[in-house]
Amino acid sequence: MSRTVLICDDAIFMRTMVGDILQQAGFEIVGEAETGVQAVEKYRQLRPDLVTMDIVMPDMGGIDAVREITKGDPTARILMCSAMGQQALVVEAIQAGAKDFVVKPFQPSRVLEAVQRVLAA
Amino acid sequence: MDIARYAELFRTEAREHLAGIDEALAVLADGSADGGQHDAIDALFRATHTIKGMAGAMGYASVEQLSHAYETLLAAVRESALPADSTLVTLCYEAADALAQHVDDAVDGNADRPVSISLLERLASMADSIDSDRGHRTTATWRVPSMDDDAADAPDDEPDDESAHPDGPIPTTTIEWVVTTDTARGERRGRVIVVALAPDAPLKSVRAQIALARLEALGTVQGTEPPLQTVSDLFDGEFTIVMDTASTDAELEAAVRSAGDVARVVVRDPVARRATKDVLRHVRIDLKRLDALLDLMGELVITRDRLLAVAEVNGDRTVMATAQETSRLISALQEQILQARMVPVGQVFDRFPRMVRDVARDLGKEVSFTMEGRDIALDRSMLDAIGDPIVHLLRNAMDHGIESAAQRTAAGKPDVGRLVLRAIRDRAAIVIAVEDDGRGVDRARVLARAIADGRVERHVTSLTDDDLIKLLSQPGFSTAESVTAVSGRGVGIDVVANRVRALGGSMDIETVPGRGTIFSLRLPVTLAIVRALLVQVADRTYAVPSAHVMEAVEFDEAARLTLRGREAVSLRDEVLPLVRLRQVFGEPVTHDVDAQLLVVDAGGRRFACTVDALLGQQDIVVKTFDAVVGATALFSGATILGDGSPALIVDVGSLA
Repeated sequence: MSRTVLICDDAIFMRTMVGDILQQAGFEIVGEAETGVQAVEKYRQLRPDLVTMDIVMPDMGGIDAVREITKGDPTARILMCSAMGQQALVVEAIQAGAKDFVVKPFQPSRVLEAVQRVLAA
Repeated sequence: MDIARYAELFRTEAREHLAGIDEALAVLADGSADGGQHDAIDALFRATHTIKGMAGAMGYASVEQLSHAYETLLAAVRESALPADSTLVTLCYEAADALAQHVDDAVDGNADRPVSISLLERLASMADSIDSDRGHRTTATWRVPSMDDDAADAPDDEPDDESAHPDGPIPTTTIEWVVTTDTARGERRGRVIVVALAPDAPLKSVRAQIALARLEALGTVQGTEPPLQTVSDLFDGEFTIVMDTASTDAELEAAVRSAGDVARVVVRDPVARRATKDVLRHVRIDLKRLDALLDLMGELVITRDRLLAVAEVNGDRTVMATAQETSRLISALQEQILQARMVPVGQVFDRFPRMVRDVARDLGKEVSFTMEGRDIALDRSMLDAIGDPIVHLLRNAMDHGIESAAQRTAAGKPDVGRLVLRAIRDRAAIVIAVEDDGRGVDRARVLARAIADGRVERHVTSLTDDDLIKLLSQPGFSTAESVTAVSGRGVGIDVVANRVRALGGSMDIETVPGRGTIFSLRLPVTLAIVRALLVQVADRTYAVPSAHVMEAVEFDEAARLTLRGREAVSLRDEVLPLVRLRQVFGEPVTHDVDAQLLVVDAGGRRFACTVDALLGQQDIVVKTFDAVVGATALFSGATILGDGSPALIVDVGSLA
């Protein structure tokens, strides 16, 4: 049975790109979220093996979503997707409960390495 | 991954966000003061941020760069909650237009068309001016210790300007911790984990935090170096974590590496640190510096005496008062320096228990060893010099003094011998005693040996303790007898006596046959400065330590008499042996000599010395001899007088 992933990003473009990388690695994309609120809801519904989360989203940002999800499920495996110049925010996300991060532009190998680490943790 | 697939998707979505930017800008430009402004700025921020992310994913450098600069400005505006003025809005429109252009260029294959420097600069400076209005700088700088620095010695790097860091002054970088020294498997102990991240690792501060989180799961983190809570773009990825943990080093390394992007991990023992208080209360000092202080102080003391003498001659009251004040201060300084050189004898004594155990074992003797007075302090150099003599006395006691268990039982003693090393303060002296409850010194044998050697006259039938120590201290006396593997060749009681005398001290013995022996070393508390009486013998000046001089009187030849073949002098109702220093020092006898008589006390033995003249009392700096070679032990050292000429210091004990 393949691993399931929930992809959270307010840009369709990003969701598509991440989804493609993960799909090629054998993941099943069971859900997508555009806002933090959606991310929290869908996590509860779907209980995916992995979550990818953008930092800035409307209607509850990524960091708050991480906090909420982790509160409900401390074992949640969340991978932050970060752009340049966001180090302080990523730190916040890790402190909120995210397990690891990848930076854009995505290198598939790095993304998969990070995913392995998150799943192993 | 084939970026091209996503290019049009990128353009479509980017255009949507650009449209959103236009809408938001319209609201801002409108300038109406309702809550719509805040939402508009929010929307602007998110839109530029999203475009940045997308461009990053696509590798569209210019789009990413421009949108990042734009986003930074909007973040500043957002946080400042300031109303957007027309200058800001104009700039935002310009940036939005440029962004749209770059998006199209990138998708159409010209992703590297450079962004206008002027635009970037204006975006940055507007962001800065908004930030500085809030007293907020956007970057922080750190100095991070390298991998090879001992974490606990990292420099304390506080910038002068506190406002440079938004959260207040940069915290100190020293870690203080108390470490358990128990290393049993499974028990918690302190570990220091030094990590270097891969040089190309992105967001190193975040990576370090992840590694920290992994370690936190394995124990209690005491501290990190640099403080990992603070995030910096200049962090080079090298950090140290100190923690208590029951995990193995391999487990700790694995935990760190599981965080990803780790190049090097070293797990080691912590350096034990004392509590801050101790560190601040003591300093290390080079012994040479202490000696230099001592020498300088000695000369200062001599010069002080000259100053006082000159001031008195001068007669001027002000000069005299100043000279006296100076003198007082110099005395105080002297006291401080001498104190600084004092060291508890325990420092040297502490190595003896092990030695005693080893020697006792080698000799097959049962010995119980105790030490008393470890806190008594001696001058540093004296302590250094006294170590070997004490070792010899201890060995001697175990070899010749304490009998074997069988012999002791036969003698009705407990089979375990008692050996005590004791230090006590006795007025101006420190007495170090080695006491055993062994068989005592065999006086008969010593006497026979002494007579055979011609050291003692044939008719002498018994030896007092005094006589005994004098004999034993004579060079060469004890060597033949006491040479064993343990006591060593040539390291006899005589050598001990010499060393002690060289330090300005004396040695005594108390011994009872069958009961035990006490050897006592009497040492001056401080080496350095003693009060001495300067005397003239022939045409030389000598110094006699005042501590030994009881009185000085004119020598009346009429009071001279002969007792038991030796010269003596009667003084009031006392008869004292007479020692003519001219004779002792080998000076020719002429007229006008031996005019003065000194009544001297050397460790309880009173006698009288004659000298030609008394030259006065003064403090002298004692410079001991490095090693006493040869038989003559008349002098315990030398000093430099005020006029620069040297004077030998008479060892009173050796005259008796």
